[in-house]
Amino acid sequence: MGSFRRDKDDDDEGSTSLYQNLEKTSVLQETRTFNETPVNARKCIQILTKILYLINQGEQLVSREATECFFAMTKLFQSKDIVLRRMVYLGIKELSSIAEDVIIVTSSLTKDMTGKEDLYRAAAIRALCSITDNTMLQAVERYMKQCIVDKNGAVSCAALVSSYKLAGQAGDVVKRWANEAQEALNNDNVMVQYHALGLLYYIRKNDRLAVSKLVNKLSRNSLKSPYALCMLIRISCKLIEEENLSGEELSDFPMFQFVESCLRHKSEMVIYEAAHAIVNFKNTPSRVLSPAFSILQLFCSSPKATLRFAAVRTLNKVAMTHPAAVTTCNLDLEGLITDSNRSVATLAITTLLKTGAESSVERLMKQISSFVAEISDEFKVVVVQAICSLCTKYPRKHTVLMSFLSGMLREEGGLEYKTSIVDTIITIIEENTESKESGLSHLCEFIEDCEHTSLAVRILHLLGKEGPYSNNPSKYIRFIYNRVILENPIVRSAAVSALGQFGASCPTLLGNILVLLNRCQMDPDDEVRDRATYYLHILQTNKMELYKRYIIDRNTSSLILLEKALSDYLNGNFNDKFDLAIVPKAAVVKVETKDEAMIVSNNAVRPTKITREEVSAAKVMQIPGIKELGPLHKTCPTTQLTESETEYTVQCVKHIFESHVVFQFDCLNTLPDVILENVRVEITPPEEFEIKGIIPCQKLPYNELGSCFVILKFPEDVLHSAATFGATLRFTVIDCDPTTGEPDSDVGYSDEYMLEDFEISVADLILKTKKSNFNAIFDEANTEEWVEAEDTFALSTVSTIQEAVNSILKFLGLGPSQNTETVAEGTHTHTLLCSGTFKNGADILLKAKLALADGVTMHLTVKTTEPDVADLVISAIG
Amino acid sequence: MGLFDKLSKILKFKKETMTILVVGLNNSGKSTIINHFKNTDDRNSITVPTVGFSIEKFQNHGVNFTALDMSGAGRYRNLWQHHFKTCQGIVYVIDSSDRMRLVVVKDELEILLKHPDLEHKRIPILFYANKMDFADALSSVKIAAALGLEKIDDKPWHISSSNAISGEGLEEGVQWLIEQIRICVIDAKKKRTRKDDN
Repeated sequence: MGSFRRDKDDDDEGSTSLYQNLEKTSVLQETRTFNETPVNARKCIQILTKILYLINQGEQLVSREATECFFAMTKLFQSKDIVLRRMVYLGIKELSSIAEDVIIVTSSLTKDMTGKEDLYRAAAIRALCSITDNTMLQAVERYMKQCIVDKNGAVSCAALVSSYKLAGQAGDVVKRWANEAQEALNNDNVMVQYHALGLLYYIRKNDRLAVSKLVNKLSRNSLKSPYALCMLIRISCKLIEEENLSGEELSDFPMFQFVESCLRHKSEMVIYEAAHAIVNFKNTPSRVLSPAFSILQLFCSSPKATLRFAAVRTLNKVAMTHPAAVTTCNLDLEGLITDSNRSVATLAITTLLKTGAESSVERLMKQISSFVAEISDEFKVVVVQAICSLCTKYPRKHTVLMSFLSGMLREEGGLEYKTSIVDTIITIIEENTESKESGLSHLCEFIEDCEHTSLAVRILHLLGKEGPYSNNPSKYIRFIYNRVILENPIVRSAAVSALGQFGASCPTLLGNILVLLNRCQMDPDDEVRDRATYYLHILQTNKMELYKRYIIDRNTSSLILLEKALSDYLNGNFNDKFDLAIVPKAAVVKVETKDEAMIVSNNAVRPTKITREEVSAAKVMQIPGIKELGPLHKTCPTTQLTESETEYTVQCVKHIFESHVVFQFDCLNTLPDVILENVRVEITPPEEFEIKGIIPCQKLPYNELGSCFVILKFPEDVLHSAATFGATLRFTVIDCDPTTGEPDSDVGYSDEYMLEDFEISVADLILKTKKSNFNAIFDEANTEEWVEAEDTFALSTVSTIQEAVNSILKFLGLGPSQNTETVAEGTHTHTLLCSGTFKNGADILLKAKLALADGVTMHLTVKTTEPDVADLVISAIG
Repeated sequence: MGLFDKLSKILKFKKETMTILVVGLNNSGKSTIINHFKNTDDRNSITVPTVGFSIEKFQNHGVNFTALDMSGAGRYRNLWQHHFKTCQGIVYVIDSSDRMRLVVVKDELEILLKHPDLEHKRIPILFYANKMDFADALSSVKIAAALGLEKIDDKPWHISSSNAISGEGLEEGVQWLIEQIRICVIDAKKKRTRKDDN
């Protein structure tokens, strides 16, 4: 009896998880049942379900298995069972991409799709389109056209959506169905209208005129379907954006008037879409803006959660662009803070944070902390982003915000969430020196118990950079060394690097650091040992300049180009040693801070960009004769020396070396009937410069880019380094056949072409650097090797401090530190801190105190290791 | 065999069902032949080249037929073999006016006969020498000779001239096919019972 009962229990368990523990091979065995006649529909449905389940669980079928299964499935077309037939369609769609010879079912499907049974038709169309390839499309074209204009809404929809999918791979065939789609647009079914519009737009989307015709026509005879109307609004928005109209023109623009009229539609969906569109335009006139906002405001108090969500989300998005208008909705937003829907509440609070006054920050933060544990990670990220923007806005509130953030950091959460918190804390630390100590200690606590390697590494790097300059550096050592003992190799090596930084920057701690690094040499991991040995070796030399060069200010090469250069080297014949100098330095690229006041978390990992300058720098280093000039200091952005519409276009790229400059002229021949030979640029330099060599471009056929080079030596006197050059393009013209490119004759005639003058400015000679501890470095720079120059200027050409800051940075090419490049609005004094490296390696530190009186008055302090450089910098401003 | 089955067999309660495979080169008239067997109201008014295959059902002489109408176009001929295992009879349609491609017909037939699924199986093959109304059509005897049908000794076969549009000659062939399939089914049953007895 006992055993019987147990059996029964087992059975029960089995039935609850019919699809658990399925084996691919056994299920495929079962497909033999499909071959039985007559077809056992019930059994076959179950087997098909199992197959679909397996595929959707990620089980991979190889082509042979899928093909066998597919052909077995084709036998099931005998059965009249409706459910089975629909399962077969699903099976066909799933297997169509894996199995071979899937076109075998084409006729069976076309039969179903034109047949009498309506239940089959829509699904048959979808299955058919999944098995059809370009070559087969002709055969089914007639049926598709018929189905698009079918009376039955479901059939028509299926045909339209399938055509939309096919249009991606066989655009020109689908284009021929435009007439049918146009007819379907008049269908009464709301979905058919929507899909028909979608297809029509897709077909015509590359033809601006056709699209605007379509929109104009449809906006006049109003569409019945709210979905289609929403789509139409979106299309119109796109067209309007492309027009790029000013506010006044916009309100007269017919498409805009259409969008505006949609605000008075009876469907909520359409009203929302129109309001959303209007508030998102770049320059909507305020006359139209206010009704749109009042509609969003109305939606905020709607009983429907979806409407509330949509409205709040839109308000949240535009809070930065239209702060005044959003503030009018503040009362409604306050009401939504306690909304039962957490997503709505989060968005409401973050919107308030963005628009609210400084005084309300604390109250709102308290509100958030009451429910932050209940919302999902995605919304937590939104909250953190809002806090981040708040920090920039109200730097004085950093204590409240920082403690809130550290609280959040301690909670459970995914990597993305934690990353955004750490990002925010780091931004606060960078912008606000007062908060540095507390921020660093919060981060230290965090890495004590951090499961994300990437974050731990980032924080350790930050500690290494910032820690030595804090009041009490020794307290961080314990945190860092704990990592060395407890963590995985990646974190350990980062910790060793951080220790090295401390050793180099804090002479008082050097002894202890050496002991710790000595211990690290016993580490089981290679990388950790290597780094420990490296730092130990340098630190034991006790030479400050070595510290500086190899630990504190290590120039990093552009990693992508370094990788390329190394792999090139590995493919070469190893005759020469690898020279690191041919790899250009990574430019200090300022990360664009997007004003992302929105919830969309589309954090797709962007590939690391190689700038154009880096590419041309890598190219120039491979030219014989240029490598001998020593390491490349800087490559300047491209300047155009001709109008872009001329016969020959020439661009100049300046490569600055310690005592030489290389001009790279990229020439493009836009004449199809000539070939240029021996193309070179003759420049007329000031007499202090000495031309060292000219490398011409041998041949320049039509529409190809060729480069020629000029090498110059800088004058001994640094003060004359900046100069203006005249240039002429000289070449031999050979006429040729424009179609074949064959030259008509062997001899040509020489010709020349005047180019615009160009200059080497002071900014070109200076490489931007970014110092995170500017003040500390600036104060330390009072040893003998540093010289200091001071001067006071009255800047008459600029009217605001921000303009003055921008022009200083532009003229001198220095990199700003501690976010001093942005001037808070409404202030009358500002201090700009910036730094750079001169072409001969001399560091430049610049502190500019600006005050706004009638014009802008500026007091400049330059510290550098070369007296001439200081004079040069001062003279560049004057 | 259950009592009910016997009873239904005696009373002819349940109709017999037969699965046949219709093959042949493209444009030989396979779909048209099947179309002719269907009820008048089920028929398609126009016939387009079949892509892949289609399954058709019709009744003839009290038998339910399931016909697998295969596409004859070159690129789909390799799909025929997927159905060899399951079919009970094969209908091979030949365009008797197409002298040029008679060699192709012969090649395809040889490939079909040599397929492992068919080689040692006793399965009736019905040849339709279609399009007999054409002036230059070959006679069924000539076609049989050209294809070397006399060499097929392990399978029953039959050739009949036909005109799929008028329906001439079709019935005769189908009647023969039904008889042959019945014989094969009985043979197979006998074999099975003998095996069971052993």
